[in-house]
Amino acid sequence: MMDPSEINNFEDQWRKALKEASEAPPQSVWEGIEARLDQQEDKGMILPLWWQSPKIWYAAASIAALLLVGGIWYSNSKNGIKPNVEIASTQTAKERATAESDSQTAVAVNSAAAASAQIASENNVAEYSAKSGKSANQSNREVLAAVKQSESNVSPTRQNGVEGNSAATIAAAKEADNQATIDKNSTLAKVDKSPSAPINKANSNAVIATEAPENTNSLVPATAIAESEMALAMLSALPYSDLDVHMQKRYIFFRPDLKVEEPVEPLKSRDYYAALSLMPASFNPNLKVKEAPLGFTNQNLSSKKSVSGTSESGVSYAVQTQGGVKLSKHWSLEMGVSYLKGNSSYEGGGYVLSAFNNRSANVLENALAGLAPTPNNAYQDKNGFFANNGALYIDVAKTVSNNYQYLQLPVQAGFTIYPEKKLSYSVLGGMMANFFLSNELESASGEIITTKASDEIYRHMNWAATTGLRFSYKLSSKWNANLTGSYQKSVTSGFRSNQSLDSRPQLYGVSWGMRYSF
Amino acid sequence: MTFNEQELVQGCKQRNRTAQRQLYDVFGGKLFAICLRYTKNRIDAEDVLQDAFIKIYENIDSFRNDSPLEYWLRSVVVNTALNHLRQQKHLKDLDDIDLHHNGIADKEVTLGDFQLRQLMEVIQELPIGCQTIFNLYAIEGYQHNEIAQKLGISEGTSKSQYARARGLLQQKLNKEKRFNDGSVRDKQF
Repeated sequence: MMDPSEINNFEDQWRKALKEASEAPPQSVWEGIEARLDQQEDKGMILPLWWQSPKIWYAAASIAALLLVGGIWYSNSKNGIKPNVEIASTQTAKERATAESDSQTAVAVNSAAAASAQIASENNVAEYSAKSGKSANQSNREVLAAVKQSESNVSPTRQNGVEGNSAATIAAAKEADNQATIDKNSTLAKVDKSPSAPINKANSNAVIATEAPENTNSLVPATAIAESEMALAMLSALPYSDLDVHMQKRYIFFRPDLKVEEPVEPLKSRDYYAALSLMPASFNPNLKVKEAPLGFTNQNLSSKKSVSGTSESGVSYAVQTQGGVKLSKHWSLEMGVSYLKGNSSYEGGGYVLSAFNNRSANVLENALAGLAPTPNNAYQDKNGFFANNGALYIDVAKTVSNNYQYLQLPVQAGFTIYPEKKLSYSVLGGMMANFFLSNELESASGEIITTKASDEIYRHMNWAATTGLRFSYKLSSKWNANLTGSYQKSVTSGFRSNQSLDSRPQLYGVSWGMRYSF
Repeated sequence: MTFNEQELVQGCKQRNRTAQRQLYDVFGGKLFAICLRYTKNRIDAEDVLQDAFIKIYENIDSFRNDSPLEYWLRSVVVNTALNHLRQQKHLKDLDDIDLHHNGIADKEVTLGDFQLRQLMEVIQELPIGCQTIFNLYAIEGYQHNEIAQKLGISEGTSKSQYARARGLLQQKLNKEKRFNDGSVRDKQF
């Protein structure tokens, strides 16, 4: 067994030897770390800062340079063919040059035409570069010699430009331009030009110079040359390093390794659908006579202070059309137009015998007739006419048929369970506007009282709540067979509020229909 | 190198690249030495160091100044190294080792006789289980029960692996010593 102190000794030795041990990691480790840190930062932004890469700017500068050189070459070649066209001068340059020379025009005109021509040539001479100036001067001189309109004007020509001035700036060029204008009177052009100006300039000037003498008009060549100078000054651009760099931040979504996969569309549940259905239904208008005919209430003879009677449902039907939109996987919203033929019967509620003509009427008929606005109605009991004239109330059960027609506009929301399965279930709920079309009340004696919406007995529109459960069976991708159980209940009375009658129709039905999805 | 530890940490918390680089410069060497101890070769050690520094930079926010920075950094590196070993399934089946002691105790050697690189190499040459447990117990100073918990092994395994590591190290160092004493001492590593 080892001595514990030995053990400690062993570990201590190792710990001492290794605890502070250090070994320089290779440079590649930090590079790897840095790359991963960059990657992480980029992930956060997703946007690589490509504009920070100098390579991009070198490339951009190269392209710009190529374009510029190409542009100059193109404009020069163009001018070579059509010497009358000024060298790449901008409209503003033209205008300025013209404006500046305008003030001199009078003087120029007054002086000899030849003198102005001379100015033109002098300007040309002045702006030649040291190298190319010689040939240009030669051509210029030839021109001058050819013109020979005023020998005295030839001699003062200075050739300052030939000596050259190394400071070629836009400011200098402008100054030169001004000078050119001012010096016209003294027929002395003193224009400093850079020796490093492109050879093209000299060539183009030569072109103009040869052109100038052809124009006997003094103003035109002077202007043209002023323009060309301006243009040339503009063309001799600053070196790129001196240009202002205007940065524009661009955020480019750049993920080179990412394959953009088109999301595989699931079997698309159609967004819109239309449906047509027929609903056999049980319609009950829940008609109540709120009070007995006015006459009877005042009649001591009558044992009936109020009336009793019930509506019985009849076999009804509705033809329904619907249009719907799927809002989400489960939710949908649908609207529709339906025609409802609601048949029912009204049973009981006493009997009224008119003392005058022995005609009989059910209290309902009586009430309805009493509401009718026609003044010559045979059943006018509202004014107490009946009561005072010995009408009799007989408590007898009698059935009258009471049939309604409504136009229905339902708006329902639906929640569909298992929307992707062959058989899906939807719970529906919503509101329905019932527009009253007509009511026919057929008495036992066969008399028919027809009430239209325009008679203003029934409300034009009453609201109903509607709910339902729909089974939908998918026949194909577009066609569905629907079976919908519906319940509708009016929330407002079908009659105008001031009437003695009340009706809150309700309807149960099962509709059968087909649905087409777009 | 003089540096303000708190400023360095603060800079790293702000994801300042200069501070991150400085942290690397200050501690990279020591941490790399740890990585070398827990791996078999330099390439693996470099991988571990890289992963560890990424973790350090990512989790620097969780560093509180209540303990020395170096202690925290070392623990991150050790944990990273252990993860690395786990991923390579080196630590999966560490068994108890039946030590066949031949009764002849290896002569204790003095580590001062060896270069650091030699020591590193003998550690790297240990079987991975022995190597890991030796590092954790002898150098990092964990107890066997802590090691058992860390590696998901029994305490007994930890102990037996350590005993074996110790024996192997003695053997190797004795060999090295003989080698050093011999004519080929100047072997280039």
